[in-house]
Amino acid sequence: MEQSRNSAPGALLSVRGITKAFSLNAVLKGIDLDVGSGDVVALIGGNGAGKSTLMKIIMGIYQPDGGELYVAGEKATLGSPTAALARGIYMVPQEPLLFPNMTVEENIVVGFSEKPAVLHRRLVELMEENGWELDLSRKASSLSIAEQQLVELLRGLLRNARVLILDEPTSALTFDEVESLFKCVESLKSKGIGIIYITHRLAEVFEIATHVAIMRDGVITLSGPVGNFDRDMLVQGLLPPNMETQADKGVNEDVEIDYTGLPPVFELQNYSGYGFSNVDLKVYPGEILGVAGVVGAGRTELATTIFGRDKVLGGKAILDGADITGLSTKKVLCAGINYVPEDRHLNGLFKISDVAANTTSGLLDQKELGSFFLNVKKEAEITKKYVDDFRIKITGQDQLTGSLSGGNQQKIVIGRALSTSPKLVILDEPTRGIDAAARGDVYNIIHQLRNQGVAVMLISSDMEEIVELSDRAVTVFQGRINGEFAKKDINQDNLMAAAFGVTGGKQVQQ
Amino acid sequence: MKHSPLERFKKGVKSWETVLLGLLLAEFVIFGIANPKFLMPRVLLGSVNDIISICIISLFVTFVMITGGIDIQAGSIVGLSSIVIGVTWQDFGLNIWVAAILAMVVAALCGALSGFFVAYCGVQPMVVTLGGSFLYTGIALLVSNISATASYKGISGFPEDFTQIAKFKLFGVIPSQLLIFAALTVIAYFLLHKSKFGRKVFLVGVNPRAAEYSGINSRFVTLLTYVLSGVSASIAGIVLTAYLGTAKSDIGVTFTLPIITAVVLGGTLSTGGKGSVIGTALAALVIGVLRFGLPLSFKVSNQYLDIPVGLLLLIVVVGRSIAANPTLLRKLGIGKAKRQKNKA
Amino acid sequence: MNTLKKITKIREINSLFFLIALFAIVGMVNPAFLAPTTLFNCFNDSVVFTLLATGIAFVILTGEIDVSIGATLGLSAAISSSLLRDGASWFVAIAAGLLAGVVVGLINGFGVSTLGIPSLIFTLGTNGVVRGMIYVYTGGAWVENLPASFTKLSQVKLFGNLTIFYLVVLLGVIAAHIALTHTRRGRYFIAVGDNAAGATLVGIPAKRTKILAYVLCGVLASVAGIIYSSRIGFITPTAGNGYEMKAIAACVLGGISLSGGLGSLLGASIGAVIMSSVSRILVFLGFSSDYDNTITGILLITIVVIDALTQNRAATKSRHERLAARTGPAHAKKGGAAK
Repeated sequence: MEQSRNSAPGALLSVRGITKAFSLNAVLKGIDLDVGSGDVVALIGGNGAGKSTLMKIIMGIYQPDGGELYVAGEKATLGSPTAALARGIYMVPQEPLLFPNMTVEENIVVGFSEKPAVLHRRLVELMEENGWELDLSRKASSLSIAEQQLVELLRGLLRNARVLILDEPTSALTFDEVESLFKCVESLKSKGIGIIYITHRLAEVFEIATHVAIMRDGVITLSGPVGNFDRDMLVQGLLPPNMETQADKGVNEDVEIDYTGLPPVFELQNYSGYGFSNVDLKVYPGEILGVAGVVGAGRTELATTIFGRDKVLGGKAILDGADITGLSTKKVLCAGINYVPEDRHLNGLFKISDVAANTTSGLLDQKELGSFFLNVKKEAEITKKYVDDFRIKITGQDQLTGSLSGGNQQKIVIGRALSTSPKLVILDEPTRGIDAAARGDVYNIIHQLRNQGVAVMLISSDMEEIVELSDRAVTVFQGRINGEFAKKDINQDNLMAAAFGVTGGKQVQQ
Repeated sequence: MKHSPLERFKKGVKSWETVLLGLLLAEFVIFGIANPKFLMPRVLLGSVNDIISICIISLFVTFVMITGGIDIQAGSIVGLSSIVIGVTWQDFGLNIWVAAILAMVVAALCGALSGFFVAYCGVQPMVVTLGGSFLYTGIALLVSNISATASYKGISGFPEDFTQIAKFKLFGVIPSQLLIFAALTVIAYFLLHKSKFGRKVFLVGVNPRAAEYSGINSRFVTLLTYVLSGVSASIAGIVLTAYLGTAKSDIGVTFTLPIITAVVLGGTLSTGGKGSVIGTALAALVIGVLRFGLPLSFKVSNQYLDIPVGLLLLIVVVGRSIAANPTLLRKLGIGKAKRQKNKA
Repeated sequence: MNTLKKITKIREINSLFFLIALFAIVGMVNPAFLAPTTLFNCFNDSVVFTLLATGIAFVILTGEIDVSIGATLGLSAAISSSLLRDGASWFVAIAAGLLAGVVVGLINGFGVSTLGIPSLIFTLGTNGVVRGMIYVYTGGAWVENLPASFTKLSQVKLFGNLTIFYLVVLLGVIAAHIALTHTRRGRYFIAVGDNAAGATLVGIPAKRTKILAYVLCGVLASVAGIIYSSRIGFITPTAGNGYEMKAIAACVLGGISLSGGLGSLLGASIGAVIMSSVSRILVFLGFSSDYDNTITGILLITIVVIDALTQNRAATKSRHERLAARTGPAHAKKGGAAK
């Protein structure tokens, strides 16, 4: 994939034909991108589009398999973050990596060899130039996310960064903070700093960006000056090609559910918590309810709050007529809800425990596994059931789950969730990071559940998945449900538009 | 899906317990050859008193360390239990057995208090049990001040049937301490490896968040492990008091480091999630026999014994760290030139 | 008002306030406590723990622990004082004692930082070995009959009743404190303990910093050992046994967090004064000094529990704020095609 094209004239950073694959999975398939002086390039793309891999290559954390990077017209090899920094590239991560117990100033100047007084003067000058205000003697732990981002920006600028990468900078900001961030970006723009601005919010593109680039499946599908595009064109760029013909494909053959007179098994009434608010939702037995939205929209928080992991701020959760609002996880589990967490490694797996222990961990408070002693026979039986049913590939029940493939790990976590015979199963990104074959198996499991009359809530950022599986779908945008779709209306166009806050060709009011 | 007995045997041979068993046997052979007196049952089994407390307590500190915690207060609870027995028996006139049970209750409360701070307040186990070790040593001293007897003398003159705990010998050779240790090992084994509670202890140690998502009350499980280790310390206190015939507030203060050494040597992961009762029991015996055999068979002064025990611990952890990360050796060989590489 | 609030946020200042309040209360109950002689003795007697706590503070700030310092103190004390007794020059005797601390520190740093072994376990091992070395070196005998010129040194006093040892140590701690907070490399220690991943990203050599922390800790334990010899006048093979726990307790009392990255050397030295004054305070309050351990334990637990609760609450609060910020305002209308 060697490319002979050179850097665009006058560009601060040019990316040419970058490719990258992890094992056999090609993540980047030849990316071209230019950032000029004073440009704000909005980079948009769904999960798994390859944005973060591209940024890690630009930051020197990953090495590309092919292609070139040019910094200020010169070919550059960036072997480490330090090297990228030396070339004037700095990334403000989504969750800033500050030293919480140090002051703002210490956080910014750490690692410099110049005299503190000189650094202090430069820092103050820098802040005055940009008209920024921040108490330099405050502890970093007391800063809001917006202020932490400012510290990260200053860190980069004091190191004479010419290209700044902002990774979804507004995802955790309040609306006022977004405004002041945009002012910062404007002043940087006028100073000739080049910015790569990663975002999920299409509205921001038109407000702040000079250029836009849309990434999907490791390629840039659309790019150019912002003026050339409108919202609908951007939404189209996010969708797979030939959507019109594909829209109705992949729908499962099951008959449509007749909802008339059907009582819901689970209901949320004006349910609020941290990260979401005023959610009204019904889930019916034997249906798959797709919950679409972008990362950070509040879907996971909604699910974990239902599951008793965080405080309920208002409203009610009713399962089969019983009020389960604010119960502990153990009680919610007994009542008949189970949850397959989004982050399998953090909240799902016991990596240095074996397959059997992982599969049955949800049953330890039930009599099924014995009253005091662990009924090993029963444990093996239950484990065998799921291993066989789900075609989990293991060398034996005593294999440690850390050594299994992602798909098999996920099947075990799903098996655990089903072992408590729940009435409602919430699956949070059930196919993230697993291969195609395992994905098919997981889809079969979901269909089986549906056919057994279990209610399934399917949280997914993969719109195709929602389209393929759901009987009904809702979209979550900024912590609220902003759209509900009957089976015939579930297509990627509708979902994508609503997930990005665009409904009926119009931006949902902010 | 289970393996055949032969396969399981093969797997067992490779396990850490087997290494420890081999080490223990090697000690017997070497010490026995160097000084045949070492193998005389009366001599060998007579040595048990020196190590019994460490053996008993380390069994249950294993539970704590599997949850990812640490317990450096158990030694102080030994002294507290001992003096509680002495004072409530001599000065309050309680029946000696009631006094012993009271000591166990007090120890359980001490464990629960520390366990509460660790599990429910999120304080680091090391700091809480450090504070606990000061607190319980201090309380033990204050309890001893209640007594009419000066605290440095200790309280003695216990009834015959109490001291019999430590004097009884099965078949005239096997001391009761060894029987108690064996019984506790069996109890701990079943509790940790065969019960639902034991399974929870492991799961909490491997991934407390995943345990919570499985509906396990991680905090309560963690708290209980500290209660268990407290109670085991009181049992050690009872046995030791019976053996010495004297209740003192400061017996046990030197136990902390040997206990942790036994647990780590027994194969318990200090980050939690892995460990075994058999491993700890064997490791405690390996240390005990080493401390007994070196002076007897090789005339090594008692005072030097910290060196071989410390070295044993260092060799084991260094060896394990290198085995777990073979690239480490290469990295060390190449040296600092490759430092950059670590960052990626 | 605002500045006052800011000042109380500095943890060592809190410890200092606590120390002053403690002394003031004891002084009100028993004015004899505030006599310069008594007051100065509180500081004079803390000199060994001040050194140990300051040394281990380097290690704790980087997020590790060292339980071998009590043994290191004993070994250095034995080496230096036996050399002095046998007529070696002061320079040789002191250098040999310090060398022992450097070697132990290097070994600990290597095991923890390079090999990546959990610090508590590794230093537990070196603790056993070093303690044993004291017996090997001394043959189990006490080191006695130290030259009078050496033991008298601990009696040299300035400003009435302040020993020159404490004064020098205090100045040293202040200098080290300034170095740690105001130099580039000094800040590395706190940065590594605060956020190791972030430290590596901005180019801080985390591993080397940890090794250096262990070496400094070892050396300061050696200095403590030499001063201990001069003050006590004889060395038993168990010298310094259990001091490591007291030094850790002093650090916690001085506002240092055992998770690393939080606290200061001055805090450690203040904690050491509180720690070693408890028994004297008890006597002046008319209690038996038998309450010493109980009070220390209660102080320690209370402080860490309050600290943990405030920190946990702050963390939860900021997480909730962040989540709340993501939630948009109510929509004017519900979009999409309703079923």
